[in-house]
Amino acid sequence: MDEGNQELARLLSRVAVRDQAAFRALYEATSAHLLGLAYGILQRRDRAEDVLQEAFMNVWNGAGGYTPTLATPMTWLINIVRNKAIDSSRVGKTERASTGPMIDEAYAIADASEREPQHLMQSSLERARIDSCMAQLSAGQRQAIALAYYQGLVHIEIAQVLGAPLGTVKAWVRRGTDRLRACLEQAGVTA
Amino acid sequence: MNYLRPERLDALARDYAMGLMHGGARRRFEQLIRTSRAVEGAVLAWQERLATLAAPVPPLQPSNAVWQRLEHSLQAAPPAAATAAPPRWGWLTGMLWGRTLAGTLAGLLLATVVLRGQPGLIGLEPAGETLPASYVGLLLDDAGKPTLLASSRRQGRSLTVKLLQPVQVPPGRAATLWALPNNGDAPFKVGVVPAQGSATLSLSAPAEKIFFSVSRLAVSYEADARAGAPSLPFVLSGHCVKLW
Repeated sequence: MDEGNQELARLLSRVAVRDQAAFRALYEATSAHLLGLAYGILQRRDRAEDVLQEAFMNVWNGAGGYTPTLATPMTWLINIVRNKAIDSSRVGKTERASTGPMIDEAYAIADASEREPQHLMQSSLERARIDSCMAQLSAGQRQAIALAYYQGLVHIEIAQVLGAPLGTVKAWVRRGTDRLRACLEQAGVTA
Repeated sequence: MNYLRPERLDALARDYAMGLMHGGARRRFEQLIRTSRAVEGAVLAWQERLATLAAPVPPLQPSNAVWQRLEHSLQAAPPAAATAAPPRWGWLTGMLWGRTLAGTLAGLLLATVVLRGQPGLIGLEPAGETLPASYVGLLLDDAGKPTLLASSRRQGRSLTVKLLQPVQVPPGRAATLWALPNNGDAPFKVGVVPAQGSATLSLSAPAEKIFFSVSRLAVSYEADARAGAPSLPFVLSGHCVKLW
């Protein structure tokens, strides 16, 4: 566990005994990153903030259940937020589909291009130093994984966005993530 | 469908972790995560791998309202009593936190030793030499002293609690036992425990169903014995482990 995660683990252990100052410190340290993730999936700042708030209430109540041997603190937090954002996006899907893309002027997000899934995926691979190992992935494989992870799209939606057959998209995701696992193992990032 | 065939399980865990499952399938799989260590392990492994992708997501500063609402929720917990001072959180910060992993392990070992030495203590009456499959929790006080032993047979519908030392429950409060799931879900109530001696709490379902994904137990002195969620600091806390 790196230094940042060790500090988060320390804060979580204090939140578990209901230390409000530690909760505040944990929120300060992680909320902006977590909101960025939720925003990617929901594409609406107000809904992403609702998800963030709900997630942090879960953290307050459930920090005692965090087990350091099972997951790093950041992964644990990301899972809570992503799961809530995905649930929320599925509930709001009909509404979103009928109103078209949400233009949220009050909360205009300036750095839209930095949030582009393909761009994020490339940066993450470079950060983990597995970009050369992942270089053999086709554009389709990359795009499919990026749309699923950063925007929470399911197979059929990815197929629509990319204009590819459903079976092909499923295979892209499967092979792409197989490769991701192999590259991470090779780099010794995760077991 | 046999979810537990390794390849099938891996594919499902990956789809779940990616967020590719639809409503019904997603809910059913979450149920499975809660009841199978193999499924939980497969999902955690994928979540850890995929977390690599999260690193470069640009941060988005939440508006102040989010923290204000959180703070409000934290303080909206019902006051203990009209005359009582508001709960002070700071005093607890040193509690448990100061304990090392070694201390925790020593606590678990102690629980095992206590149980092996005196299985009759908590109502475990093994037919043979070995203890029956059970869930066991050992809760420590703020000084790290073992205080409450909780146990239930794996398929049992009751939980036996034994106070290893009396606790000082403030007048009008209920020493309430909470189960803390390891997936970040909110704690849920197990029951109210006595200040000393032993008690048997009945469970709404077999222990296996209730405690499978619970990693910790804790006690708070609630002002309302019917409270559905903890509103006051935990005074006892400890691991909940499987004894098999």
